[in-house]
Amino acid sequence: MKLTIERAALLKALGHVQSVVERRNTIPILSNVLLRGADGKLALSATDMDIEMISAVPAQGAKTGGTTVPAHTLYDITRKLPEGAQVLLELGSDKGQMTLRSGRSTFTLACLPAEDYPVMSGSDLAHNFTISAADLKRLIDRTRFAISTEETRYYLNGIYLHAAKSNDVNMLRAVATDGHRLARMELPLPDGAAGMPGVIVPRKAVGELRKLLDEFDQDVAVSLSDTKIRFAFGDSTVLTSKLIDGTFPDYDRVIPTGNDKVLEVECKSFAAAVDRVSTISSEKSRAVKLAIERNSLTLSATSPENGTASEEIEVRYSASPIEIGFNSRYLLDITEQIEGEGAKFVMADAASPTLVRDATDGSALYVLMPMRV
Amino acid sequence: MAIRQLPAIVVNRIAAGEVVERPAAAVKELVENAIDAGARRIEVTLRDGGASLILVSDDGDGMDAVEVALAVERHCTSKLPDDDLLHIRTLGFRGEALPSIGAVSRLSIVSRKRGAADAFKVAVEGGSKSAVEPAALSQGTRVEVRDLFYATPARLKFLKSVRAERDAAVDAVERLAMAYPSIAFTVVGDEEKPLVRMTAAEPDLAGKSADDIRRARLGAILGRDFADNALAIDAVREGFRLTGFAGLPILNRATARDQYLFVNGRPVRDKLLAGAVRGAYQDVLARDRHPMVVLFLDGPEADIDVNVHPAKAEVRFRDAALVRGLIVGALRNALAAAGHRASTTVAEQALAAARPMVWTQGGAALALNPGFAEAAAPYQAPLAQSPPAARAVEAPAPAATAHPLGAACAQLHETYIVAQTADGLVIVDQHAAHERLVYERMKAEIAATGVKRQILLIPEVVELDPADAARLAARATELAELGLVLEAFGPGAVVVREVPALLGETDVKGLARDLADEVAELGGALSLKERLEEVCGTIACHGSVRAGRRLNQAEMNALLRQMEATPHSGQCNHGRPTYVALSRAEIEKLFGRR
Repeated sequence: MKLTIERAALLKALGHVQSVVERRNTIPILSNVLLRGADGKLALSATDMDIEMISAVPAQGAKTGGTTVPAHTLYDITRKLPEGAQVLLELGSDKGQMTLRSGRSTFTLACLPAEDYPVMSGSDLAHNFTISAADLKRLIDRTRFAISTEETRYYLNGIYLHAAKSNDVNMLRAVATDGHRLARMELPLPDGAAGMPGVIVPRKAVGELRKLLDEFDQDVAVSLSDTKIRFAFGDSTVLTSKLIDGTFPDYDRVIPTGNDKVLEVECKSFAAAVDRVSTISSEKSRAVKLAIERNSLTLSATSPENGTASEEIEVRYSASPIEIGFNSRYLLDITEQIEGEGAKFVMADAASPTLVRDATDGSALYVLMPMRV
Repeated sequence: MAIRQLPAIVVNRIAAGEVVERPAAAVKELVENAIDAGARRIEVTLRDGGASLILVSDDGDGMDAVEVALAVERHCTSKLPDDDLLHIRTLGFRGEALPSIGAVSRLSIVSRKRGAADAFKVAVEGGSKSAVEPAALSQGTRVEVRDLFYATPARLKFLKSVRAERDAAVDAVERLAMAYPSIAFTVVGDEEKPLVRMTAAEPDLAGKSADDIRRARLGAILGRDFADNALAIDAVREGFRLTGFAGLPILNRATARDQYLFVNGRPVRDKLLAGAVRGAYQDVLARDRHPMVVLFLDGPEADIDVNVHPAKAEVRFRDAALVRGLIVGALRNALAAAGHRASTTVAEQALAAARPMVWTQGGAALALNPGFAEAAAPYQAPLAQSPPAARAVEAPAPAATAHPLGAACAQLHETYIVAQTADGLVIVDQHAAHERLVYERMKAEIAATGVKRQILLIPEVVELDPADAARLAARATELAELGLVLEAFGPGAVVVREVPALLGETDVKGLARDLADEVAELGGALSLKERLEEVCGTIACHGSVRAGRRLNQAEMNALLRQMEATPHSGQCNHGRPTYVALSRAEIEKLFGRR
């Protein structure tokens, strides 16, 4: 293998793949990035055995071949090369070393054989559809905050992606919950997604995918089976991830349907008030109490040590008065997701789940469980 | 093979397997007999750790010729006068010990009844009894066990080293000695010097109370540290009386070995004690450290079943919750009342660490006594070159020294506060002390407002075995107070509906399983409280004054006054002391003035 690549292109591709590589590994080859040169292209790929990221860049080279080199070292070298530089990668004759030349710099990197690098097979991905980057971004952003971090409930450590019917329209839904709150976002089902299995995309893959979405705004080709999911951006970058092997709880049951107390607030000022009032709570739980009467909401918090706080804001509310407590951090997490001006809280009582929606946009829905305060 | 009745000798050997499993068990049985016989002086002689000879002689009531003959027969005892197993006041009652020992060794008993003219002797060898014959003895009973287990070679092979067997035997005697300070005990081993020598003591007119005597006896057995750092306990609840001593938390051990419970004078090993002690000490000791306690529980015989274990090492209480409550309550009260008392052990260790120094011209310190200290000297930084690490403040106002923790004089290394008290000085670890204060304040806050609970959107179903599930569900109210709301869910599961908000997103299943185990093991739900306190402890640690922070005199004095007003301020959350007190006398000792 002997190739010449633009530094900028190499850096971008390495940037994508190196974040998959864990800093510390018990299997040495997992610290490496796989390089394969062929047909005027260099394909870089990295994996942690759960996620595989492949990124291809144009390269001029004569011979084909492949090897693996330490990912973080290669990334750091490339990052420190001057802008506009050309990088020459050459595999030694004994394949134990790769030489990198650029300008007057020469680096020799230790290699491990390319044949030993674990590769995820992606041939059996039966369901394929295309979704716009913007839509995928929204599915992730609206739900990601509610992913559980508690490892024992591993089946909640990701976003549940599945097809569902909403008012007789086929939808693609993303759901995440940590057992305290739940977020659900839906979009019209893309062509080809009908019949797809419900899958749980793990948190790390969600994070990597979200980073890629910041850079690409073309359509994303999604293919999946019940064990793997693949996101392809054009023909240059492909992210493949194993799925969480578990059953997502029957979340529909916890979404209340009979709630009748509707509270409408101006989202930004409500969030600011919650943030202000919660300052007084000394505990980690940061509880705030909402006392709601006709067209008025009083937020309050008490701490025996620090004192009390309360703030009244104007709202639209016409049902019978209610007092209800929430974890302020959970309230803020949800209000942050609401882009419209108004937020709508639909409640039943102080011990039942509360439904939160954007007043103008019905695609996202949040369920929040109260706290006893 | 046809069923037949086993001969008595085999029956006795089987019983011996349960009652006499090692020399220490024989020693225990024989010493108990002596105590039941009203002895004032008991002497034990051991050869080869008791394997070749155990000799127990006492000055008790003794036996006449007929009794001596009967004593070695199975199920013969003087201890159940009205055949009432519900009211057992003696240590023994089964009538099994002597025949069991006789079945596996060469046993001889010489006894002279109090006031009788003659002594009698009977011998049993491997189960066959000799005729009673006259013998010579001044008073009491002398039991000699030679070649224990010679008749059961298999058991003989299981004996541990001489030293281990001897230590176990001494342990058995000491255990009984704790409960009977009015009896003198001597144990002689292969060496000339007795292994144990404890004189009898009685409350006297000179003002020695029963408490002092007990404390002295416990000091002789558990070490002076314990006698000096134990809190006396005396509590009564519904017919049960708990006395004894609880060690200060700073006096802690790596195992629970030094926790003793005596029920009506009988040493027992009980899970109930372990659970109750852990519960009482839980927020003053790290989880892997164990306090030293010696507790004497006296209660109505009818409420305590002692007939549950062949070696009588366990008892059963009719109302275990009551006893547990009594122990936990009494220990907690004693600890809270002790407030900020620092252990003298710590002060003594500090004294031992202090060494006289001489100054050389270069300013380097040299130890007066050579040895290890000499080697260390070159590494000690010459103090003359470094800036003074201690900052003195103006002389304390005389009124302030009247407080128990005195008036702050200086801060050393921006970590330790030195205060002058009416009689001596106090050194306070500012971080440990403040951490405890913050922690106690948080605890009070939680107690005042209750634990806030996050309701679960998806209730967690935890599968347990049916008995565990029922036990947990039965304690639902208690758990709800701590913020965990659960209810039974079918026969083999509970459903958790609300969790303490303080724990955040937590492993509910693991928590419920731990709690179920603890309720079964220890009779209480400790780990929930422990987890809450762990969170509080972490917050307290971050929210308190660190080492390295410079404090002015007003701040230091304020800290001292708060410590005096706060319960448990003598140790940090992990059982380490927050301050050390040195009395004037101890300081004078350092300088050879005493």
